[in-house]
Amino acid sequence: MTFQIDSGIDLPGQELGLVSKMPAVENNGKVSRDDRKTVGDITHADPRMTCRDVHVWYGDKHALNDVDLDIGKNEVIAMIGPSGCGKSTFIRCLNRMNDSIDGCRVSGDLIMDGQDIYDRKMDVVLLRAMVGMVFQKPNPFPKSIFENVAYGPRIHGLAAAKTDIEEIVVTSLQKAGLWDEVKDYLDQPGTGLSGGQQQRLCIARAIAVNPEVVLMDEPCSALDPIATARIEELIDELREHYTIAIVTHSMQQAARVSQRTAYFHLGDLIEVGETDQIFTNPKHQLTEDYITGRFG
Amino acid sequence: MSTTALIFTLVLLAGFSFWLGRKRSFAVVNGDAWKLHSLPNYYGYYTAIWCGIPALMITAMWLFFENTIITHLVVVDLPEEIRSLSPDRLNLVVNDIRNLVSGNIVSSDVDPAMRAAADHYIHLQAISQAALTVLVLAIAISGALLALRAIRQEKRARNAVERIVMIFLLASSTIAIFTTLGIVLSVLFEAIRFFETVPLTSFLFGLEWSPQMAIREDQVGSSGAFGAIPLFAGTLLISFIAMLVAVPIGLLSAIYLAEYASKRVRAMAKPLLEILAGIPTVVYGFFAALTVAPFIRDSGGLLGLDVSSESALAAGLVMGIMIIPFVSSLSDDVINAVPQAMRDGSEGLGATKSETIKKVIIPAALPGIVGGILLAVSRAIGETMIVVMAAGLSANLTANPLEAVTTVTVQIVTLLVGDQEFDSPKTLAAFALGLLLFVVTLILNIIALHVVRKYREQYE
Repeated sequence: MTFQIDSGIDLPGQELGLVSKMPAVENNGKVSRDDRKTVGDITHADPRMTCRDVHVWYGDKHALNDVDLDIGKNEVIAMIGPSGCGKSTFIRCLNRMNDSIDGCRVSGDLIMDGQDIYDRKMDVVLLRAMVGMVFQKPNPFPKSIFENVAYGPRIHGLAAAKTDIEEIVVTSLQKAGLWDEVKDYLDQPGTGLSGGQQQRLCIARAIAVNPEVVLMDEPCSALDPIATARIEELIDELREHYTIAIVTHSMQQAARVSQRTAYFHLGDLIEVGETDQIFTNPKHQLTEDYITGRFG
Repeated sequence: MSTTALIFTLVLLAGFSFWLGRKRSFAVVNGDAWKLHSLPNYYGYYTAIWCGIPALMITAMWLFFENTIITHLVVVDLPEEIRSLSPDRLNLVVNDIRNLVSGNIVSSDVDPAMRAAADHYIHLQAISQAALTVLVLAIAISGALLALRAIRQEKRARNAVERIVMIFLLASSTIAIFTTLGIVLSVLFEAIRFFETVPLTSFLFGLEWSPQMAIREDQVGSSGAFGAIPLFAGTLLISFIAMLVAVPIGLLSAIYLAEYASKRVRAMAKPLLEILAGIPTVVYGFFAALTVAPFIRDSGGLLGLDVSSESALAAGLVMGIMIIPFVSSLSDDVINAVPQAMRDGSEGLGATKSETIKKVIIPAALPGIVGGILLAVSRAIGETMIVVMAAGLSANLTANPLEAVTTVTVQIVTLLVGDQEFDSPKTLAAFALGLLLFVVTLILNIIALHVVRKYREQYE
């Protein structure tokens, strides 16, 4: 592996004059562990959301430190990193789910459609309709399968007639790959499904309000390998219509489903790049440590 | 030795045998406590238990049967003409003998036979006391000696003590259960005596309540009617008004406390709300009778309504206030028990806080809330002091909250307060009412517990 300093590393914002000096370099050509500046290209040719200088504090704890990242249209971007590194915190900023946490403070620019989502004028309700979320543990409401999916469209008034609602429910369940399994049991409680089915129900519930971005916070960590494979397939299919940001602890999963990968470490965004490049040839020593299993 | 002194001696003996047992455990291993199966104290407890418990049990049993046996022996030795009296009269004689023994006033002149019987009684008591003392001390000492002899290096004293602790706990819970059973049975038997004079159907379905019985044949206007319907109608009317106050206020304040209030507000408001539960009901009672009832009567007068000064409304309103903490505290708990994931899921879809509460939290918590409300209802039905002071005594069968009604509990109180003869249906009616009230609240509690248990299975 050859490495040349002047052509090998794309530093973020280098051309904008944001980076003043070259990073320290290890013997093997990787950026040193002590350097916490983001390595790789944080930009995307066709961004859906643009984040700059994002800081998050939980009380006195500085949970996320100066993150710059673009989320591209119709891409799957994976956030990886050891526990407590800030990856969940970051995607929860994207639909302001952190608002309900006591003592959480967010600063920086998070732009979607030319508007700062933390702006006073921003309507959180509309933002969350555009940026949906799927959680770590499947959390269907204790209602019927039909009502679970119909919940979002109903509160946003997306359907006037009963038939419209039915149509939305059917297409959402079809998109989530759950239709064939549940079409005869729509009035059964959603909590009665298996773990993998519950998670696909939650995905159907999220896409029923027709969001543009879907955030997934470790969506497979509570599932068995078969259900996981099913969800990964689904994520790949959903990419056609949606932008997906997924947090995962499984590096194989990140490698399988994502186009770009971002590696977080102790609140810093360490490295961003094409998924192939991150997993075969990381540019930062910390990234290499993590993906080779030296820690994490 | 008197019984008190005997028990005191037993306690001392047990304490002494604790010390002996502990010492003995050291002795069997030559002072090396590490070699013992259990800690030395356990050998002490073991010895003390063997010394104290059997002896105490024998004492209790002896005292329980002593009176009956001695009385029997005395009666057997009474002259023939007294023994052949009817059981009731014989009882009076025995009572006189006992009074004579304890130096109380007796009902008739003391004749020599009675005097002899009393002496005989005293003599038997003395023998019994002496026998008890000897027997119990012997059992205590031999128990301790046996336990001491059983102490070996590998003796599992710890497990033995553990088993006795378990039996002790079992006995404690049995006492609670048997007490309940005893209360139910005593009420049941008196109620059965009542139903011997008043038919069950006329009690359950009768529309008139006027429990005055004629003592003499020629007394006027005291036929006695024991229809429980007006009482239960009054109880239900007042409870209904109370729930009308308590459920909305309690539920809404629970939602505020659980979902909206900041930690500081919650820490202050919740204890303040629960102070309501700490106010004695008698205080609520005179608040209802002296403040609320006149206020309602006066404001009703301004509106041209005819309000009784002991209206169901006043009692119901105040009872509702009293029950608020029940509803709010239980609802607060079940709302908090709804997993955070439900809130996240709903808010992640763009629902507002009130939509989330209305459509997800409350439906999910509903079984628990219903359980809490049912418990509050049974509390309202059984509540006595407020209605005694603020509701009336006249058994009107009405649904108008501005009129005076009476409740089951009020009638039970009025039937039993003061000197009462226990062979008239008037007094026994109280037990029938109590039994019916018990059955109603029991059914409500069973439903409530069932609903709450079903709720627990909802998640996972």
